[in-house]
Amino acid sequence: MDLDTLSARLSALEQSGLGAIRAAGDPDALDAVHVAYLGRRGELKTLLGGIGALPGPDRPKVGAIGNAVREALEAALEARRRELGAAALDARLAREAVDVTLPGRPVRRGSLHPLIETNREIARIFGQFGFVVYEGPEVETDVRNFQALNIPPDHPARDLWDTLYTDVPGYLLRTHTSPGQIHVMQRAAPPIRALLPGRCFRYEAVDASHGFEFFQVEGLMVDEGTTMADLRGLLDAFAQAMFGRGRPTRFRPGYYPFTEPSVAFDVQCVVCDGRGCASCKRTGWMTILGAGMVHPVVLRNGGLDPERYQGFAFGLGTDRIAILRYGIDDIRMFLENDLRFLEQF
Amino acid sequence: MRVPLSWLGDYVDVDLTPEALADRLTLLGMEVQGIERRGIDWQRVVVGELLTVEPHPGSDHLLVTTVRTGPAEPVLTVLTGASNVAAGQRVPVAVPGAVLPGGRRIEVTRMAGRESQGMLCSGDELGLTTDADGILILPPDAPVGVAMADLFGDVVLDVDVKPNRGDALSLIGLAREVAAATGARVRWPEIALEETGPAVESRVAVEVLDERLCPRFVARLVDGVTVGPSSLRVQARLTAAGVRPVSNVVDASNYVMLELGKPTHTFDAAGIAGGRIVVRPARTGERLETLDHVVRDLTPETLLIADPAGPLSIAGVMGGASSEVGMATRTVVIESAVFDPVAIRRAAHHYALRSEASLRFEKGQETRLARIGADRVAQLVAAWAGGSVAPGRVDTAPAEPEPARLPFRPSRVSGLLGTTIRVDAIRDLLARVDVRTEPARPGDVVPVATGFPGVPLDGAAAAEALVAIVPTHRRDMEIEADVTEEVARVLGYDRVPGRLPETPMPEYRPDPRRTVDDVRDALAGRGLDEVVTHALVGPLDHERIGIAGDDPATIRVTNPLSAEHSQLRRSLLPGLVRVLVENERQRRVDLSLFEIGHVHDLVDGVPVERAVLGILLAGDQAGVAWNQAARPADLWEVRGLVTALCARLGALRPTAARPGTVASYEHPGRTATLLVAGPDGGVDAVLGRVFQPHPAYLEAAEVRSTHVAVALLDLDVLQAAIPAVRRYVPFPRVPAVERDLAIVVGDGTAAGEVERVVRDAAAPLLRTLRLFDVYAGAPLAPGERSLAFRLTLQSPERTLTDEEIDATVGRVVDALRTRLGAHIRA
Repeated sequence: MDLDTLSARLSALEQSGLGAIRAAGDPDALDAVHVAYLGRRGELKTLLGGIGALPGPDRPKVGAIGNAVREALEAALEARRRELGAAALDARLAREAVDVTLPGRPVRRGSLHPLIETNREIARIFGQFGFVVYEGPEVETDVRNFQALNIPPDHPARDLWDTLYTDVPGYLLRTHTSPGQIHVMQRAAPPIRALLPGRCFRYEAVDASHGFEFFQVEGLMVDEGTTMADLRGLLDAFAQAMFGRGRPTRFRPGYYPFTEPSVAFDVQCVVCDGRGCASCKRTGWMTILGAGMVHPVVLRNGGLDPERYQGFAFGLGTDRIAILRYGIDDIRMFLENDLRFLEQF
Repeated sequence: MRVPLSWLGDYVDVDLTPEALADRLTLLGMEVQGIERRGIDWQRVVVGELLTVEPHPGSDHLLVTTVRTGPAEPVLTVLTGASNVAAGQRVPVAVPGAVLPGGRRIEVTRMAGRESQGMLCSGDELGLTTDADGILILPPDAPVGVAMADLFGDVVLDVDVKPNRGDALSLIGLAREVAAATGARVRWPEIALEETGPAVESRVAVEVLDERLCPRFVARLVDGVTVGPSSLRVQARLTAAGVRPVSNVVDASNYVMLELGKPTHTFDAAGIAGGRIVVRPARTGERLETLDHVVRDLTPETLLIADPAGPLSIAGVMGGASSEVGMATRTVVIESAVFDPVAIRRAAHHYALRSEASLRFEKGQETRLARIGADRVAQLVAAWAGGSVAPGRVDTAPAEPEPARLPFRPSRVSGLLGTTIRVDAIRDLLARVDVRTEPARPGDVVPVATGFPGVPLDGAAAAEALVAIVPTHRRDMEIEADVTEEVARVLGYDRVPGRLPETPMPEYRPDPRRTVDDVRDALAGRGLDEVVTHALVGPLDHERIGIAGDDPATIRVTNPLSAEHSQLRRSLLPGLVRVLVENERQRRVDLSLFEIGHVHDLVDGVPVERAVLGILLAGDQAGVAWNQAARPADLWEVRGLVTALCARLGALRPTAARPGTVASYEHPGRTATLLVAGPDGGVDAVLGRVFQPHPAYLEAAEVRSTHVAVALLDLDVLQAAIPAVRRYVPFPRVPAVERDLAIVVGDGTAAGEVERVVRDAAAPLLRTLRLFDVYAGAPLAPGERSLAFRLTLQSPERTLTDEEIDATVGRVVDALRTRLGAHIRA
């Protein structure tokens, strides 16, 4: 074989190799083409085996041509391999396509009860001002629920609390969280800043705004020189935190046997912004808590000297705050535990 | 207290709109809870003059009248069924187009063939009096044609008088409050009596056997009365104030109660044997027919007004029928007494007869009002029912106390309020509520706390102190803080400035709600819904969980609202199950709930509360979806939840054990006790139970779902199992080795038992232990099962050798064999 013939055959080999590469439809076929043309016993090797028959000066030329053919085929193989890989991936992705509008796997959201969450929010707000949480029992003694709070037996003020009594002599279901004041004063020394959240009970017919079980948070602050101005300042801060900045508040006289002076604390109606509506009985104000300066007799009963210490107490109705906070129109929802209600919190 | 403003105007001038007055009273502590406009619903009801009254020819009970309603108005023909009308009378006429209370429209109608051009109105139809039997006959000078609303319309304030201000349960008392707010002057009614005839002492004698229960009794006598209805004006006032008119004599007594806050009682003198009144406690076995015609058995605690023949009335509560003032009464004895507030309160409660009178008595009465009230009633009875007032009073305690001296320190007033009020300002403010002030004297004692010794004033302190001279009607002012309140009240509470406290902060205290909140967050984060159920449940709830109705550890409410809520819950289970049932009724059957609440037991006669976490899972726990299968709630679901919760909180992993005994509401084969290691690694504490409820219990409780699982855990035990601080434990950098063991045990051997043996024997190299397969069946023998555990072994510092691993596994196998008779499946 002479140089020209060999060159021509190498060129033909290149052409047929490129054709075979183009024709290979999958990686296996491509591998077969690779072996057939560029393998150890492939056509290129075989053809170049005839190089020895050529005159010496021609040999490098053929070698150069052979290398060029190899490189061309290898490049084509690589390109084709990439092409096939990309196509295979595309095919896989196409196969894997789903209806992306189908819903996700269900995960239960869970919920926290609005009453307990409101209690926690109240504790958070007063916690910023150094109030710490205490707890008192739901079944209370008549002594702590009434007598230590300056409400003797047969006192007409007992009419303010319709009481549920138990068959355990001397015990009743606490009508308010105020007995917590006595618990705290007996357990802690001033300075006292205490919060007592809890469940309370009253003999009360159930309607949209009353229940026989409800929740309160009691607050108590006692120290030398604690004043009604401190009470006002803290309650104003609370009202801002709970109902938004700039909401007007109002202090007016109230009555509790265990505070003197006693206070009713109103915020501007959150439903009508003070214009007057059914929710605020057209007064423009809503009473959110009762408070006052701790009665000297109560301080005494708590073991503190009223000449040295003075302080204030307040009792917040959690249910009432929660109603205003969430816009709930019926207090009964809280204890009904209808999932359609719970799921909104 | 209902306050008709027209009546209030007798005692004080008011230049404010009703709304403005209501606001002022509210800010003074007399909260106005409602404003009622009477007469606003009498549209087109005018005064008419009856020209003629004739029988209806076609009816035996109707009358045909002609009525003039004004000089320019046509004469109307109006039919009426009432029989008390006569020509010349003036009556309210609802002309066609009128609207009456309740929205009732009056049009031209036909009755028995005659046309009626309107309606003559009764007092009841207008809500003006309570008389529904006849047409309201107006005074002869009522101006014809004028709207009734202009003549008799009124505005009534509903004032919430607090229990400490019995003195303000009266028009005169509220007039004083108006005066304090506006600076107007209070006008007392002029009480002047014309006394004739024999002295009262010759007609009435009063003996009080217990002066503690009746500190003062004043009697007066009016002779020759003619009992009949009161004037329309009086009836309208009483009705507006919420008191039913009865007769001129009884109305006089009620009128004075509302006017002065002084309840009195009027007796028919003919009903008092010998004119001798005895005030004494009832004797056992005595009975009295009260004014409501109920015969009552009297208890010895009851204070009576009696005569030598027996009881006349229950003091301060209700009169008796035998001495009731009626149409035939000619002589009236007026009782105006002061009674022990507690005795009256108890009697009113005991007989369930709480009245306007008893409410005032139980708040305490001003001594001098006994005299003033007797005079005023006598004056009104004589004026309204005729007759003559017998000279003098019978009075068991004529001495009247002077106003009390109440020393106080103005600096303390400012110090409590947190704002400086000048001393002369304090004096001015107190003067507006009739509290005079004078300088204190050395030796005066400041009452700080009722029932405790006061603070004596030395010379220097006295020089800065004042004494409040408290008018006798202010029985609520006893201590220094009461003076402070009075100052603040008149000043206006809103004048107390707000500021944040500058006093020292309290000591740190751990938040007792911390664990509870962590549990709540963890469980809500896992998709559970928090519920709050009633602490009061019913006997049936308890019976269903095996607690008998008379169980001695149950605390019961003695005055429950309903049986359904009459016992304090011993368990959270009934409440949780109730939530399930209620939601199932709304077709919500897949639930996962939790509640944290107190359960109550009586232990050795003392109520004990425990905080409990209850979890209830029901129905499908996976969530209905197109791409996953349902996962019905079961023991494993709730157990896994509790395990995850404990791990999240950093508590030790609870272990499960077969319960010693199973409650009636627990599935006997699907109930486990959960234990956690004691705080010091000592005896395991019982954390609680996880179980599937007994099918019979679910059925009895009307639960539809058959897939329910529950955990009831003691929160205090859980809290104790949480370490105060979490410590990071470095994890080994060397590889761990896993070994699987298929352990064959008898059916009777609990997996928890096996687990404990493995843990004990594999320590200290065991890092984790996981049960990954449970198998029974061939080739195992009947009664055997295989529990496949994966042990992960690791040393903290180096790679384990085969010998060490084999030794550990060998110990495990030996322990299983010797302690449980188990063998390893090849």
